[in-house]
Amino acid sequence: MALLEVQKLTKRFGGLVANDHIDLQVNEAEIVGLIGPNGAGKTTLFNCIAGFYPPSGGTVRFKGEDITGLPANEVCLLGIARTFQLVRIFKDMTVMDNVMVGAFNRTNLAARAKKKTLEVLDFCGLSPKKSMLAGGLTIADKKRLEFAKALATEPSLLMLDEAMAGLNQTETGEAIELVKKVRQSGITVLLVEHVMEVVMPISNRVVVLDYGKKIAEDAPEKVIHNEEVIKAYLGDKYHASRRAH
Amino acid sequence: MGGNKNKWIWLAIGGILLLIFPFILTLPFPRHLMIMIFLYASLGLAWNMIGGYAGQISLGHAVYFGAGAYTSTILLMKLGVSPWAGMLVGGALSVGLAFIIGYPCFKLAGHYFAIATIAIGEIAQQWMLNWDWAGAAVGLTLPILPESLINLEFHTTKAPYYYIAFGIFVLTIWVTYWIDRSKPGYYFKAIKGDLEGARSLGIDVARYKFYALALSAFFTSICGSFYAQYILFIDPDSVFPLMLSIIVCLIATLGGVGTVWGPVIGAFILIPISEFTRIQFGGGGKGTDLIIYGFLIMVISIYQPFGVIGLSKLLRKKEST
Repeated sequence: MALLEVQKLTKRFGGLVANDHIDLQVNEAEIVGLIGPNGAGKTTLFNCIAGFYPPSGGTVRFKGEDITGLPANEVCLLGIARTFQLVRIFKDMTVMDNVMVGAFNRTNLAARAKKKTLEVLDFCGLSPKKSMLAGGLTIADKKRLEFAKALATEPSLLMLDEAMAGLNQTETGEAIELVKKVRQSGITVLLVEHVMEVVMPISNRVVVLDYGKKIAEDAPEKVIHNEEVIKAYLGDKYHASRRAH
Repeated sequence: MGGNKNKWIWLAIGGILLLIFPFILTLPFPRHLMIMIFLYASLGLAWNMIGGYAGQISLGHAVYFGAGAYTSTILLMKLGVSPWAGMLVGGALSVGLAFIIGYPCFKLAGHYFAIATIAIGEIAQQWMLNWDWAGAAVGLTLPILPESLINLEFHTTKAPYYYIAFGIFVLTIWVTYWIDRSKPGYYFKAIKGDLEGARSLGIDVARYKFYALALSAFFTSICGSFYAQYILFIDPDSVFPLMLSIIVCLIATLGGVGTVWGPVIGAFILIPISEFTRIQFGGGGKGTDLIIYGFLIMVISIYQPFGVIGLSKLLRKKEST
């Protein structure tokens, strides 16, 4: 059964159609990559699924339940956690307290939240920095913390919005390992990236958006040879010249 | 762990000193000063719940203070209800007011929220100035009843007031301490830190903002009822002024917002200044304390935005390195 099922999802901002009848299905224990050039509507789709924007049309089902238009906090309670492209950490709180906030999603008891928090910090390799103020972390660690906070809410679907943008090669490699580890622990991952190199090696399936429409959906190795996708990323001219050869 | 143990020892010493204080200093003034410090520390702590922890700067807290003072007084005068019961009814009423005020105001962010709360405070004061049934501008003089704990009136000594104020102070610290360490406290701080981030972690932002305001309003209201019983006279100018709303905010800000001990430190610094300048300059010096407050706030906000608490943390860090 599909864990997440998006049907004909449309989001309009005035005259601009950011998402145009998008169908998307994420199965349990998969890593699905959502890619597309800048402005393709990836983040908008994310926000519609996670309850940050009410969709203008279409439905979102999670574990068979209709969650279209539910507020973000309720979506999180049902088991969808998301991270933000521009990290939204609580900079005046310590790393540990940041993750505690996430952990309280599943419990009212500080002792239980703390136990979960220590587990997550360990899992994400943030334990040595747990007493630091979040605002003082490096970009890579901030992204890691953003990830840890989401993980602490104990989601069954984790949605990562460009979790690796702005990281160097080593840091990206570490982040990819972390995503793989999360999947191994049984959590499904939906990954937004516009860097193809990141998505290809870890995704089971890749969905490509362009100008708000879904233009391709396939295994990663097939998607990179898709004419539409190449056109979207590199433009008509390149596409034409490649044909001429 | 050693540091923690030390902290409890200091707390115990402080607590015992405050408990025997009225036996050491038997004159009315030192006791009055301490009662005022306890009262304002409690008010600062109450404000801190919404303003400090949840980061919603309310400048209309006089509304809840006045609501508490008027509710217990009117219940006592018109129905003969014990001020203790009146205190609880006032607290409940203030929670209701918090909901009515919070519902529209929480849709506003940052400075706009603060401005809206100022407006509501002013409306409340004008309303009370013109409400004849509640004494209007003349105010209400509480009936002089026989001295007793149930009547919450003591005429020959201030010592019982001292212990009651101390009790309210301990209660608000205890509740703040609980907030600081439990789910609501984490959620309040998250809301202050980043609204969208908080929402994405499953926090019902509107609900938790209301919880913070309700707790804050309840304790502010209790302080109001106590004030009425202590002074035995209330009018809109003494329990609904904008200045009161500003002072409770200043106390928390000076000491350190979003911490358990910040408002306590703030009250121990500001209230003696205000009481002594009042004595030194009398009516003609009205506002002198505010000039000093203003200066202190400027210094604090320039050099140490986290308040006196932040300063002490900084010093401790320097010592250890």
